[in-house]
Amino acid sequence: MAQSSALPAEQYNYDIVRKFTIMAMVWAVLGMSVGVYIASELAWPFLNFDIPQLTFGRLRPVHTTLVIFGFGGSALFATSYYVVQRTCQARLAFPWLAEFTFWGWTGGVALGALTYVSGITQGREYAEFEWPLDIAITLVWVSYFAIYVETLRRRSQPHIYVANWFFLAYILAVALLHIFNNLAVPVSLTKSYSLFAGVQDAMTQWWYGHNAVGFFLTAAFLGMMYYFVPKQAGRPVYSYRLSIIHFWALIFLYMWAGGHHLHWTSLPDWVSTLAATFSVILLMPSWGGMINGIMTLSGAWDKLRSDPIMLFLITSLSFYGMSTFEGPLMSLKSVNALSHYTDWTVGHVHSGALGWVALVSFGSFYHLIPRLWDRKIYSQTLIYVHFWLATIGIVLYIVSLWVAGIGQGLMLRAFDDYGNLAYTFIETVEFMHTPYVWRALGGAFFVSGVLVMVYNMAMTVRAARREQPVIEAKLAKA
Amino acid sequence: MFDWLMWFTHMENSKPLALVLFFGAFCGVVLYVFTGRRRSQRLESYKYIPLDDDDDPRQSSATRAEHHSQSRKVMDNE
Amino acid sequence: MRHEHIETNSGLMILLILFVISIGGLVEIVPLFYINETVEKVDGVRPYTPLEMRGRDIYVREGCYLCHSQQIRPFRDEWLRYGHYSLAAESQYDHPFQWGSKRTGPDLARVGGKYSNQWHVQHLVAPRSVVPQSIMPNYPWLLNTDLDYSDVADRMRALRATGVPYSVTQAEYDANVTKFGKAIADQLDISQAQDNLLQQAREKDFDGMPNRVTEMEALVAYLQVLGTMVDFNKYDEGYFATFR
Repeated sequence: MAQSSALPAEQYNYDIVRKFTIMAMVWAVLGMSVGVYIASELAWPFLNFDIPQLTFGRLRPVHTTLVIFGFGGSALFATSYYVVQRTCQARLAFPWLAEFTFWGWTGGVALGALTYVSGITQGREYAEFEWPLDIAITLVWVSYFAIYVETLRRRSQPHIYVANWFFLAYILAVALLHIFNNLAVPVSLTKSYSLFAGVQDAMTQWWYGHNAVGFFLTAAFLGMMYYFVPKQAGRPVYSYRLSIIHFWALIFLYMWAGGHHLHWTSLPDWVSTLAATFSVILLMPSWGGMINGIMTLSGAWDKLRSDPIMLFLITSLSFYGMSTFEGPLMSLKSVNALSHYTDWTVGHVHSGALGWVALVSFGSFYHLIPRLWDRKIYSQTLIYVHFWLATIGIVLYIVSLWVAGIGQGLMLRAFDDYGNLAYTFIETVEFMHTPYVWRALGGAFFVSGVLVMVYNMAMTVRAARREQPVIEAKLAKA
Repeated sequence: MFDWLMWFTHMENSKPLALVLFFGAFCGVVLYVFTGRRRSQRLESYKYIPLDDDDDPRQSSATRAEHHSQSRKVMDNE
Repeated sequence: MRHEHIETNSGLMILLILFVISIGGLVEIVPLFYINETVEKVDGVRPYTPLEMRGRDIYVREGCYLCHSQQIRPFRDEWLRYGHYSLAAESQYDHPFQWGSKRTGPDLARVGGKYSNQWHVQHLVAPRSVVPQSIMPNYPWLLNTDLDYSDVADRMRALRATGVPYSVTQAEYDANVTKFGKAIADQLDISQAQDNLLQQAREKDFDGMPNRVTEMEALVAYLQVLGTMVDFNKYDEGYFATFR
């Protein structure tokens, strides 16, 4: 128990957590702004400006990398380093190595973005980093694993808390996925060819791609949820036993589901059927986790009215529930026949990425900021403003892409009375213009919410910095 | 060398096998976790771990004491 | 065994997690390398010529796969719009695969031969000049940039290391002659790579500029070969279904 006289800030390594928290917000602003920009390019193609570095094809990996690995990754480093220390009541192991993970990760993401705009890419979605960066990332990841496990081993609690199981599974799974999906034969420093081809390559890539979602964007953020929701609510998680089932079922089932990205393709039917089956079963642990998180508040629902941070956390769990219902639905072959290749998929990803991943991170950060800088948050009202900007943004985003995606899917398979195609492809492109405008607007709402948060955070940190010398003077006197 | 793996690639073999294995394991875990009053109480007591560690310097000492008594209570029942 | 044993032992927990997460991937991926029916037996599919291969590199570089799929599904509307559904065999030399996941633009798996070279050049430089409602970016620099083919042999050697039958030795060349015929075997000979590339560019002149070999040249060469390798008239209705 933390009964020692030392303040938490001295007992634990908060410095690394602060660094990653700040970088997460920097990447959020950059990555999401790029997202709004490329969304606008789809609505108004002149925005490509005939500049190679600004074209959609090169900026899109910049967007995905900055938000997933930049924002999401830094948020996970920050919260996992915080959670492992607090639940183990041990200081983070190997501080110099933790420092390396920070600079390595930040540098890797930044270099990745620069290489993409220069046209250096592996051409694999969400794994566009060329091989030298892949190796650098592997080194960072191995260090991360070493720090994490060593901190677990130094714990003064006999038990490893649930949140850490999820973080551990995510670190292990991402290592496995990263290594196998990036096997390649290099030509030069900036070019390589993937080791596998065609159907095997496709399956490896989507085994990676789906589990990047499953472990990076889900399991790890569930770890975040299992710590910050109970902490913010001031009451323990709803059911520890449910979390045991949730954990093992989730990590087992996710690994099977990747093939549903390849329905009706040249992938053999047995694989995609198997993947669809497991995707549907996956609904159960997903909802188990959601229920576990939301029911933590049971008996204290009034907190939703008084605590905007709780609002962030519980809303994120609701979006998690929604997108983990939509996912299995879209993995059904008949639904997938319509939804695949359309913007429905993009909307689905964003209901998870914005609604779940980003909101749970923001909620956790709002919980963290006062503790990291030992200073009350600058403005409680601005948290509400952020919440509503974000929520309106997400709703605009996913509704417009439901319209775009389902609309396009239906138009493409429509026939006229003579059995000819009712629409040409370009007519569907024309149809999507209006939803694309709304989508870009939704994204802009979301980014403006992030900017509000950055302002709120900056003012808090500034006040803390101003206060610091005063406290130190007092301590010196005493 | 990998010929025996082919047996598993036939749906009529692998489907029931997988069903029995996975569903069996799942039922085992569920039964283990949810049966037995003492085991349940023991397992549930671990959920207080994050709350054991008071981190909010501005938190009143009353709520702090409450957390501790809660976690104590469960452990005593063991 | 109690769950507490796992919860209090990080090493045991790591091992168990690794075991649990490995099963799904092993069951679904490993068999794809061993089951013979995964890739259809079909004539005509060959590795790309040096020029097409460089075009494919540019396709990857510009991120075309983010808006265009190369994978036609077995539906009536796709059959009418794009042609026969894609076979696994058709992408067996694709490192990396470019099936894509999103059709902001139409599928390109069988775009080869559907439009003239001139149309492609015009469309890539200024898409809205031929399709007014298009939202594709302009790619004028492809026509202004000379193709760098200095390392084309290195690229082919790297692809050879992944299993693409580009030939280095006489034995490999002979095997290619048996499998693909002499004309194609010559194209796959790494020692002839640069000459082959220049010769194809000169003969076909994909970019409409006889004196230059631009990036446009390579990209159009690639687009024009997409989906054209298999002659579907040679196979009975239902033949390919036996592989699914």
